[in-house]
Amino acid sequence: MFLINDLIALLAANLILSQALGTSTLFIAAGSRKNLVATAGVITLFTTIGSAASFFIDLAVPSSVSDLRLLFYTLVIAFLYVALLIIVYKFGSRWFEDMRKYIHVSAFNCAVMGTLFTINKRADADSALSGFGGYVSAGFEAGIGFVIAAIILTAAYRKLNSRKVPAAFRGFPAMLVYLGIISMAVYSLK
Amino acid sequence: MNNRKKLLFGGVLGDNIVLSGLMVISPVIICGDTLKNAEALIYAFSAITFLSVLISSFVPRKLPYTAKIIIYAVISSLVYIPVRLAASEFYPESIERIGIYYPLLAVNSLIVFQTEAKFYRMKKADMIISLLSCILGFDLVMLITGFLRELFAYGTINSKIVDINTVINGLAQPFGGFIFLGLMCGVYRYIRGMVSKNNNEVRSGTDVSDK
Repeated sequence: MFLINDLIALLAANLILSQALGTSTLFIAAGSRKNLVATAGVITLFTTIGSAASFFIDLAVPSSVSDLRLLFYTLVIAFLYVALLIIVYKFGSRWFEDMRKYIHVSAFNCAVMGTLFTINKRADADSALSGFGGYVSAGFEAGIGFVIAAIILTAAYRKLNSRKVPAAFRGFPAMLVYLGIISMAVYSLK
Repeated sequence: MNNRKKLLFGGVLGDNIVLSGLMVISPVIICGDTLKNAEALIYAFSAITFLSVLISSFVPRKLPYTAKIIIYAVISSLVYIPVRLAASEFYPESIERIGIYYPLLAVNSLIVFQTEAKFYRMKKADMIISLLSCILGFDLVMLITGFLRELFAYGTINSKIVDINTVINGLAQPFGGFIFLGLMCGVYRYIRGMVSKNNNEVRSGTDVSDK
């Protein structure tokens, strides 16, 4: 029962299905199993570590200069971006060529940046989420939410791209409508 | 001249960044439910994207790819600050509603990735025309989405009540945005397919007559 409750909570708080954050990246991830694992892994890393760093930024930046937050978040993601490329190059040079495209795609996109802003907004509204642990777990949850949405899309990916779908709606348009229907189901869980 | 014309209309009709490239779709899906929101987003997107790409075009091309991407993102984050300050004067209500999607416009893939893949491979004049065309493409989609979703979701146009029989509240929700954009993409592709088919027929006709 707890597991079902957790799953419903994860779905209801899913940033893609409820806020459309990172939808284009999701389409890349759903293309193949390899894309799914690599993109989801890198996005989860970015959202989790990025959220931890954003905790300190939110502590340091007063609300009177909140417009500067985007700049600081960008710098944090830039640092993570370079660090991840160096780590993969040093310790996994065999996979570097394969992995770097996923790192490039995942660094500056709505899924990652949107997560940081959403967590900040939630922490402002609910003090229980404003601690370091709250930030990190929310970042990790956002990554898991991306994985769940990618798996849901992967399940129908081949059919939505098949010749049975009219040419004009084949691919992206059909996938958007499909995500809309899933999003409607998730909306009813709230 | 012909090439310039192609560049000018390419981003609006031929290769629309939202309907064809699926870039910057989150604000369209979530915030494109009223004309007022659409107006505020159009202002922000146009100002941030145009200024950021223009300033970024002075970044040395010899720098490594990663460094350039980071510099583009930092430049757009800096451009965002004055644009946001000006927006809070002109669209104070819309900014509240748009919320986190406002800063997200500054890290859109048109600025961060397309600059490198598309714009900086062109001559400066061509780049500006193509950029303006891409921005116009987004603006047009945003306007149409805002107009139609407001009309059918709330029964209003620019907050003025319109006599309309069918109101579909769900269109204002995120799922309504997904479905609406999906349908719009399909219709756009269908029209584009028809136009290119006609062009091919005309071209093949000319080929025959030339022979």
